[in-house]
Amino acid sequence: MSNEMSRMKFFCDDHRCIECFACSVACAEAHELPTGISRRKVITLFDGIEGKEVSTSIACMHCTDAPCEQVCPVDCFYIREDGIVLHDKEKCIGCGYCLYACPFGAPQFPRDGAFGAKGAMDKCTMCAGGPLETNSEKERHLYGQNRIAEGKVPMCAAVCSTNALLVGDAESVSTIYRKRVAGRGKGA
Amino acid sequence: MTQQFGDAVNAKVIMMIGANSAVANPIGFKHFLQAKDRAGTKLIVVDPIYTRSAAKADLYLRIRSGTDIAFVYGMLHIIFKNGWEDKEFIDTRSYAMDQIRAEAAKWTPELTSDVTGIPVDQIIQATTLFAKNTPSAIAWSLGITQHSVGSSNTRILPVLQIALGNMGKKGGGLYIIRGHDNVQGATDMGNLADSLSGYYGLEDGAWKYFAQSWGVDYEWLKGRFFEKKWMNEKGYSLSQWWQGVLQEVKTYSSAPVRAVWIQGTGITSMSQQAKIKEALDKLDLVVIAEPFVNEAAVLTSRKDGIYILPVATQFECEGTVTATNRSSQWRSKVVEPLYESKTDEEVMFLFAKKFGFYDQFVQGMKMGVKDGKVVQVKNDFKWPDDAVREIARTIKSIGLSGWTPERLRAHQENWHMFDPVTLEGKGPMKGQYYGLPWPCWDDKHPGSPILYRRDVPVAEGGMGFRNRFGLEHNGVSQLADKSVTVKGSKIEGGYPQLTKENIEKVLGITLTEEEKAQMGGSWAMDFSGLIQQKAREAGVCVYGNARARTIVWEFPDPVPLHREPIHSPRWDLVAKYPTYEDQPKNFRVETKFKSEQQKQDWSKDFPTMLVSMRVVNLSGAGMLERTSKYLSAITPEMFCNIHPDLALKHGIRDRDMMWIHAPQGTKIKVKAYHNHSVTPDRICMPYNFAGIFQGIDLSANYPEGTKPYAIGESSNTITNYGFDVITQISEFNAGLCRVEKA
Repeated sequence: MSNEMSRMKFFCDDHRCIECFACSVACAEAHELPTGISRRKVITLFDGIEGKEVSTSIACMHCTDAPCEQVCPVDCFYIREDGIVLHDKEKCIGCGYCLYACPFGAPQFPRDGAFGAKGAMDKCTMCAGGPLETNSEKERHLYGQNRIAEGKVPMCAAVCSTNALLVGDAESVSTIYRKRVAGRGKGA
Repeated sequence: MTQQFGDAVNAKVIMMIGANSAVANPIGFKHFLQAKDRAGTKLIVVDPIYTRSAAKADLYLRIRSGTDIAFVYGMLHIIFKNGWEDKEFIDTRSYAMDQIRAEAAKWTPELTSDVTGIPVDQIIQATTLFAKNTPSAIAWSLGITQHSVGSSNTRILPVLQIALGNMGKKGGGLYIIRGHDNVQGATDMGNLADSLSGYYGLEDGAWKYFAQSWGVDYEWLKGRFFEKKWMNEKGYSLSQWWQGVLQEVKTYSSAPVRAVWIQGTGITSMSQQAKIKEALDKLDLVVIAEPFVNEAAVLTSRKDGIYILPVATQFECEGTVTATNRSSQWRSKVVEPLYESKTDEEVMFLFAKKFGFYDQFVQGMKMGVKDGKVVQVKNDFKWPDDAVREIARTIKSIGLSGWTPERLRAHQENWHMFDPVTLEGKGPMKGQYYGLPWPCWDDKHPGSPILYRRDVPVAEGGMGFRNRFGLEHNGVSQLADKSVTVKGSKIEGGYPQLTKENIEKVLGITLTEEEKAQMGGSWAMDFSGLIQQKAREAGVCVYGNARARTIVWEFPDPVPLHREPIHSPRWDLVAKYPTYEDQPKNFRVETKFKSEQQKQDWSKDFPTMLVSMRVVNLSGAGMLERTSKYLSAITPEMFCNIHPDLALKHGIRDRDMMWIHAPQGTKIKVKAYHNHSVTPDRICMPYNFAGIFQGIDLSANYPEGTKPYAIGESSNTITNYGFDVITQISEFNAGLCRVEKA
């Protein structure tokens, strides 16, 4: 752990990710998400193409200069001191601007009925809940578990079967990855 | 598995063949990826399909299914030709390698390439990498075992490791990867039709030994059988039990099978689904005792004589499970069984009570050893502790004597005191390996994380090869050479397995009269533990220090030979490499080999190779996981990976429905997924679905509220006829089919 100011980041090592879906299933189970809401997605590109196939896991990247926050017309986003990007579902009007601004497709919208996606946006909280009272029933209901407040690792990285998905202070994540790249002699 | 997963980091090269552990055992696969990152270990993947594991390989070889023996001989050919073998290891620790060498001489890279479909340069490249960078390890799984030549497949790979001196070393060995929880434990406990627990077989000697340990009369056990001869005969296997019901071919039993009790096995993940359905329909009684509705209940159209008993899950039970690396782990009960469900043991106890043999059934848990004899030591038993004690007292063949409930509980409670890579204990757990990987010879033994190491004393997990097949064969000693001394052993070089008769001579000791009176006949049947005690004092392993035999003289192929699958896409090779003669009797049934293989050129009507695979979110028949909405959402429907060139030739667009026909006349209707992991000569599909049968939706057969989120055709409806000549496992992984637009 570094002594510098911490900034929480995710990183998925695509040399390690095997598309086992543990992260996305554990996330959905832990936060009791409706099916169709994918806070975390596992994707494989070039499926079956020799030498090109690559798998990775993707969710909200908790950007420093978060585009979602910049385009939100009702200012429902806020960025914690440790860098985790959260939003206030009670303020959100479900307009979808954030979805268009986000380079990663992180914002999710409830899918009710045949035509549509209406309601407040939902996304990865890095297991840090929301603006409501920490670990309150309401926070849990609206945002899912607040594992960060309990000193626990976010669910997705905690269950990663190959330690591909790294989370934590950006310096520490980068140190782990740097060691792996040095060992492999490639992959940066 | 001769190693433990953490040891992967010591391998310079790992070759996975017939295994896709990225999907079937992701936690195990992590160790291979870790080895790549930490030690620069190279990964070779040999598979008919470009799998998720292959995507992580440094070298991928696309093999034609069912040609593994040819491929390994191709490697051995290059190894022997270049003198890359470990001559000292072969001379001092193995037997009959010259016969392997003679067979390998035929398999030039060109011939190997023609048979396996792997380009010559890739065969040479993989062999060079693997043979010149030892220690190197092999990982395999069901892609190796599930063939008509499966038992030969599982022999040729260890032979390769012996030739390279890769056995009994850190970084070498064999990773035989189990894909489900406690498969190793189930095998060790003999949940099979051909052996008592612990691989003791079915001979009278074994029955008498078990009768003593169970505290029951041998004559009483004998009386439970219709005739004495059935006691020593294999039962029906899981692969062909249905023949016992249908009796379409010659079967051997006193009467047709009339009832089946299914507990803890997904019989919908077995081949010949159409036959299984017929058999289920014909039986007098079907009982299914499982946490989830076994789809056997859905497959059958019977309306009566079927009972579904709710059995508790692992979270509602306590006991031990054995991992793929032979280590045991205590498992605690998290909650009491929910609703009316009962634990497995309670169901069995109630069964025994109903049928009037409860007292004998549980007697073994009240027994203990006193003065070398098994006697009743208590009036009641405690589950599961006394069951574990019974196992430790009885199963000496694989060294479970050290697995006491106290030690296994202490390991589970002190995870933090063990190194996750080496399994070595620290602090109060110093001197023990996590889970006491077997053999764990006595209650002071630390367990054996790597088998056959002679650079480690027996008391710390070392050993030679087992002396299991006699002292000599064709006049050649089967004992290890004089130079192969296990560290710390009083005996120089090889020595036989210990018996009451030879122990004084072998160890150079004199037994007291009292010891002689207490000692059992052989190390594997010695309740007194005296043989182990004397062996420990001499730094000797009870099972001997012998040569690894590379030929098996009891088998139809003493030297493993390439034989084409029962349904081969290469009719031109069938004559040259035919399968076995038909088998009149194995596991009580007659089985077709040559007559089926050579009935016709199957590849004319069924030109496409059929390969099965597992998907990561489903295990076995998938019934458990398909009841989870999140897991079902990943693969909501049964599918088949098909190359666009093959699909479009038949007018099948991506996501169209298609029929797949099998030689035995069965068919399934599944969704086509255009995919490049397969080549146009083969298709690949998961085996984890059930609930649709030959195009007919069986949803109405699910008891109310039990239908899973995802159902689909079972690939096993079209798995071709074909069984291994020894184990009778189905030929799941080599077959033929014909595709057609639905």
